[in-house]
Amino acid sequence: MKKVLSIALALLLVLGLTAVAKPASADAEEITLWTYPIGNWGNEETVKALTDAFTAETGIKVKVEYLTYADGDDKVNTALTAKKGPDLLMEGPERLVSNWGANGYMVNIADLFDDQDKAEINAAALAACFADDATAYEYPLCMTAHCMAVNLNALKEAGAEQYVNAETHTWTTEQFFAAVNALAAKYGLVGGIYCSGQGGDQGTRALVNNLYGGTFTNAEHTAYTWDDPKNIQALKALYDLEGIEYDPSINGGEEIANFYNGIFKMAFCWNIAQQLNPNSAGTGAGKTANGDDILFMAFPSEDGNANLQGGIWGFGIVNNGDDAKIAAAKKFIQYMADSEHTYDAVRASNFFAARTAVAGNALDVWSDNEIMAEYTKLMPFLGDYYQVTKGWAPARTAWWNMLQQVGASDGSEAAIGSAVSTYCGQANDGAK
Amino acid sequence: MSPELRRRETIAGYLFLLPSLIFFIGFVVVPMVMCVVTSFFDANMDLNTPDKFIWFNNYIELWKDPVFLKALKNTFIIVVVSVPFTCIFSLWVASAIYKMREGLLSFFRIVFYLPVVTGSVAVTVVWKWMYNNYYGIFNYVLKNTGIISKNINWLGNPQYALWCIILILLTTSVGQPIVLYVSALSNVDNSLVEASEVDGANNLQVFWRIKWPQIMPTTLYILIITTINSFQCFALIQLLTSGGPNYATETVMYYIYYSAFKLYRFGYGNAMGVILAIFIGILSAIQFRLAREK
Repeated sequence: MKKVLSIALALLLVLGLTAVAKPASADAEEITLWTYPIGNWGNEETVKALTDAFTAETGIKVKVEYLTYADGDDKVNTALTAKKGPDLLMEGPERLVSNWGANGYMVNIADLFDDQDKAEINAAALAACFADDATAYEYPLCMTAHCMAVNLNALKEAGAEQYVNAETHTWTTEQFFAAVNALAAKYGLVGGIYCSGQGGDQGTRALVNNLYGGTFTNAEHTAYTWDDPKNIQALKALYDLEGIEYDPSINGGEEIANFYNGIFKMAFCWNIAQQLNPNSAGTGAGKTANGDDILFMAFPSEDGNANLQGGIWGFGIVNNGDDAKIAAAKKFIQYMADSEHTYDAVRASNFFAARTAVAGNALDVWSDNEIMAEYTKLMPFLGDYYQVTKGWAPARTAWWNMLQQVGASDGSEAAIGSAVSTYCGQANDGAK
Repeated sequence: MSPELRRRETIAGYLFLLPSLIFFIGFVVVPMVMCVVTSFFDANMDLNTPDKFIWFNNYIELWKDPVFLKALKNTFIIVVVSVPFTCIFSLWVASAIYKMREGLLSFFRIVFYLPVVTGSVAVTVVWKWMYNNYYGIFNYVLKNTGIISKNINWLGNPQYALWCIILILLTTSVGQPIVLYVSALSNVDNSLVEASEVDGANNLQVFWRIKWPQIMPTTLYILIITTINSFQCFALIQLLTSGGPNYATETVMYYIYYSAFKLYRFGYGNAMGVILAIFIGILSAIQFRLAREK
């Protein structure tokens, strides 16, 4: 009796351990979506309203997990390599296409793009979602141009208002330096070249590239070219600029917090989502914590015509080998990004639609919003979407490591040039 | 006991062990073997290219990689500073408080143990605020007392960053050793202490000749646990500095994570893991040997 009881108990415990294993679903009653915080696509209440509407129409439930930019990549990488990934991922082409798609984890969804879709979707967004003519790993939903921001009250108090064009939201490199000098004379600290990690690195890249017209990659997106002498000139100019510090103790999010709280007078990590809800604090659009006005600006360039970094976001399907789930995920994408519901999905993102129309019907998402309408002035400055260059993930880390080394250097052109050369070389090693 | 009964009891024993054994094999043994095996491959995230067996290339590359060497150096600095300090400080505190009345003793135990039971993220957030370059309390106090004239970027300056990490590590490391030492010192045979005092031994002699040998097993445990914890310092680095500035706080554990999850070089990361395990094993063995001789 004791033996039987022992065996039964042991088997019960073993079965208990293995009970978590679940067979793959034969029909796709539920799919999982992992989303990065893309505007309010990181807000559970907003997303639930969208997914509930999808479930009501299709009968397919959507289980959503919310990622952060701090550790989202690690979570996704771990899940994908363990073959435990979600059915859908929401992010940009630099991850969905150039990383997970190129490495074989995503489903080719080129069949979702018919000729009308191709005509209606922004050409740059469309190109970024395709790995080649016949392979697409992302269906774009929304896009924006990243920019920088200035504390307008501080600018006025420093007598530097004349250096910005508040109508066009543009300025030249010379005007930018003059504004920083004026702000530094008044306040000391103006802004920080944040480089503790990759969060918000598009801001520092755009600042450096635009100041003297440098480039980050070649036009073919096959090599990293940030060892361009114009970038070295920009890095040195920023090093020498009073009021701007290379700060390896903060990242983009912390820079935004410092700007919002009035410590910085400029932020280089900005976009329309921040303008609508600075620091995600819910204290009013276009205002800092103490009520100062925030003026969004294009990055300064020699002629005032900046090349802004684009942000494109959409959906990709993870190849989990379950055809039913892939079909359900495709339905979800079409519902959110290629139907009359796209209006709501785009509004939830706080960015602009990646297409001008859906099935021939014009898609007018933001005409009722003054700030969004004003922000569209920056969209013509949208530059090359170079984030699809091979080896993008290691290149980003090389970029902020380089900024750290530049900041820790003696500021000589030779030292900065050496740091730039080393890390650009590392990035190119990853692009091979 | 008959052989048949012994066999049955043995089988029953193993069956009871089975659930834990499954966990141990699944989450310890198998990953360890996989780690060693993967370290010989050029393993990465690319599903389109099969992993290539590259013999000892990952291990050879490690010793030519300046970032790994820097990480190794930083790791050893952390170990060399924090292990002796943690042991000495916790022994000192435990010696001072273990004879106190129960209420006071519990208070001190709570004070020192609090950082251990507090989540590392919460601890890190508070320290990050204190170290903040712009509004941190350290800069505020030091500036207002005239010790410094300009804010110090504690975590952003390669000169200070590693020491800031070590300071946090110390505050979170001393709690458990203090509790263990308090318990060990309370268990020291008092008749031996009294006898030595009657024979004229002074406090130092009582400690060194009577107490120290009796708390040696606790010391050995503390040394090994602190060494392993120091070698595996990761969360603080990840949450505070990401290995920066300019690799000043890069540790082997963080570089393993960085290589595997940022550069997607799983084979290389695993090779580092094997090297780290070897170092920890060697140091633990030395500590065992020295303590046994003592």
